[in-house]
Amino acid sequence: MATPGISGRGFVRTLKTLRRSTVLQRLHENANSALNVAVSKECDIFPNTDSLTRRLHSSPTSFEPHCCHYYHSCHHHRRHYNQYHIPNKYQRTDSICPSAKPNPWCAVSNQRLLSTTTEHLRDTKTSSLVETDPYKIVASEMKDLAPDICKVLEVDIPNMQHMTQYYFGLGKAFRPMVCLLMAKVCNSHLNMGDTVFESQRNVAMVAEMLHTASLVHDDVIDAADERRGLESLNKKYGQRQSILVGNYILSKATMLLAQIGNPKIISLLSTVVEDIISGEFMQLGSKEDENERFQHYLKKTYKKTASLIANTCKAVAVMSNVEDDLVDAAYEYGRNLGMSFQLVDDVLDFVASKQAMGKPTDADLKLGLANAPVLFAAMEYKELQPMIMRRFAEEGDVEYARAMVEKTDGVRQTKMLAARHSEEAIKKLAEFSPCPARDALARVCRILLGREK
Amino acid sequence: MLKDKDFLTSACQTRGYGILGLGGKNSLSKAVSDAEKIVGYPTSFLSLRCLLSDEMSNVALHMRKLVGTKHPLLKTARGMVFDGNHNLQMKGLFVMLISKAAGPSPQDDLAHEEMVSGVYPNQRSLAEIMEIIHTSYLIHKGVVNLDSVQPEHGPVADMEFGNKMAVLSGDYLLASACRGLAKLGNPKVVEEVASCIADMMTAEFTNFTDPDGNEMIPQTCKGFSDWLKQTYFSFGSLLAKSCQSAMRLAGHSDYLKNMAFAFGENVSYAEQLAKDIKSFTSYDELSGLSLTSAPVLLYRERVPAQEFENLEKLWQKGPSNYHEIVSLVSKSGAISSCKELLAQYRDKAISSLDCFSDSEAKSALVNMVTAVSNVSSVSQGDVCVQTLLAQA
Repeated sequence: MATPGISGRGFVRTLKTLRRSTVLQRLHENANSALNVAVSKECDIFPNTDSLTRRLHSSPTSFEPHCCHYYHSCHHHRRHYNQYHIPNKYQRTDSICPSAKPNPWCAVSNQRLLSTTTEHLRDTKTSSLVETDPYKIVASEMKDLAPDICKVLEVDIPNMQHMTQYYFGLGKAFRPMVCLLMAKVCNSHLNMGDTVFESQRNVAMVAEMLHTASLVHDDVIDAADERRGLESLNKKYGQRQSILVGNYILSKATMLLAQIGNPKIISLLSTVVEDIISGEFMQLGSKEDENERFQHYLKKTYKKTASLIANTCKAVAVMSNVEDDLVDAAYEYGRNLGMSFQLVDDVLDFVASKQAMGKPTDADLKLGLANAPVLFAAMEYKELQPMIMRRFAEEGDVEYARAMVEKTDGVRQTKMLAARHSEEAIKKLAEFSPCPARDALARVCRILLGREK
Repeated sequence: MLKDKDFLTSACQTRGYGILGLGGKNSLSKAVSDAEKIVGYPTSFLSLRCLLSDEMSNVALHMRKLVGTKHPLLKTARGMVFDGNHNLQMKGLFVMLISKAAGPSPQDDLAHEEMVSGVYPNQRSLAEIMEIIHTSYLIHKGVVNLDSVQPEHGPVADMEFGNKMAVLSGDYLLASACRGLAKLGNPKVVEEVASCIADMMTAEFTNFTDPDGNEMIPQTCKGFSDWLKQTYFSFGSLLAKSCQSAMRLAGHSDYLKNMAFAFGENVSYAEQLAKDIKSFTSYDELSGLSLTSAPVLLYRERVPAQEFENLEKLWQKGPSNYHEIVSLVSKSGAISSCKELLAQYRDKAISSLDCFSDSEAKSALVNMVTAVSNVSSVSQGDVCVQTLLAQA
């Protein structure tokens, strides 16, 4: 992997040495690699910790030099300053370190920009923040994501290449977006600026690839005809090659992951692969007992949906080298977001189809799956239990279950559960220092709750 | 009747009944059981862990519904239990034997006391992972295109259910391979082995197979070089890269890694050539005749295009014409040049072991290579059945 990763590790090492000294205890919150060496040399010059901390806090408009290549575009930075509220501590008061070279992009022009735009933003802060699309914050990293994935999947058999690249660039790319935002949150928490490491971006690519590979296999299992607005791969090219293409995408994702060169990250993402499959298996069965059944459902939902989001969030946090409890916070954010995502999906299976097509489609029920609204309804109406166990196989089961869900408040209870996970996710974000990406992640939770398709 | 014979054949070819065999394949059985003693014990994924897992028992339960259908998954599953050729565990044995032949790590930081019968635990897991990957490939290859299901295959619903089971069980195996790879803790090895999976998938998209997985020879075929490429993608890559990775795990030199790779690659060619030749020379294995086998491709290089078209026509008419195809190909001399090639690849494989000092592991490797390259015409199937019948 390219230089960013390596220099990143070098930086991390420096950071660890620094952490040993108690005087510099709080330094890690604000570490800026351009300053690292200099700071460690000059720690005697600062009379006390407070002054050091204050001076460090007043740091960065200067940016981490070893961030991804997007950093080098001027407009990228201006956009950042024009659009978002800059918290006080990001304002530059003076040079932190006399020996550090001024950043050519930020030193002069941004200083001017800051003084004017920050004032402006502070006035209109609330409205502008709420309305900003989370995708915009990682737009430059997202822009070439699909083409880059396609490049990874290149193979010199045209038909095969067409099949492997079929779905990329079409979906919402929700998972890589969350992953990239989380990377920014972690990096900016360590004052590395509004950046994403190349390796973190690769994790985002892996996330999308794993997700797509699992979709390809899912569609064969569920005999789905449509995906991302296209005829599904299995419908168009048959089941056999679809499965093989899914495996190919998985193996290329694994290779990309291995190239990052970090065993811990590999192990995190291999858990995801395992979880997705084991979630698929859990979906085959249900539990006799009511309580166990709901637990079973929640576990299945975690494994099939939340694990990927949770573990990729964790992976980018590990890579930016934030403290352990923040790594956990990133994981918990992803887990709760994933759970909420799936619960809302379950609700939409009952609601959205009705609005969009004029009649319900009940995709889950027809596949024999008891989703959350049905499970809530079954708590009130015990006669649903045998239907769940026989996977709504008999005539009239689907309609009956649907009627029961409408009769009870299964949908509302599911929504409430989703909202609770969503709140929990937002709560976890409080552990990170504020930045535009953090606000965006909170917004993602709220948008998800209100989504209609 | 045929079914019974199949069963007997497979029963007496499983390891437990190794005492029975004489003839050709017996030397292989002996080579394998000797080799297993040398590395302590064979890989164990099929024996217990896999069958005891929740997921697999789930599949096994559902699999009962498949009995009586014609889904290829059943055949693959039977092959896993009664693998007449020891193919599956043999590949793992190659990896463990070459690990042992290469010896302990030249670096001191790897604890030598960790070794069991001269093989590091992670090399053992690698051997197992490789078998798991190969098995999942066999299973996924058997997924059926539902649009191509013919009436004689039975109801489409059965096939669809079989597909589900095949996808899930193959995926489960792949996922456990992923976990095993991650546990090895060596990114380079993860990358190498993952690239094998990509290679094997690529093999299914070349012009050698149509989308339904049937063999065909494309107009653009370059002859034997395409056969080599195809064999490398579908079998060679996995064995070669696994052998190489086994060296990497023990921290051996690049030279040893290259030699291990060459060994795995050449063994795969030799093994596949032997298999292809046998389908032409042994009456028993005539049903395994393949249009993309090496003798056919060499035949194609030797005769005018029109003669080859005749052969393709014969092929399309079905198994009743197999004998004619065999005699056509034999007459052209393609089979004897296949045998020459086989000897070359076998010798290449053996000579790539020169870099290792002599040991029982090394001679076991040589024995196994010799055994898999054996194309003697006495087939064990015949002998076994005869022996069993004589005993009865």
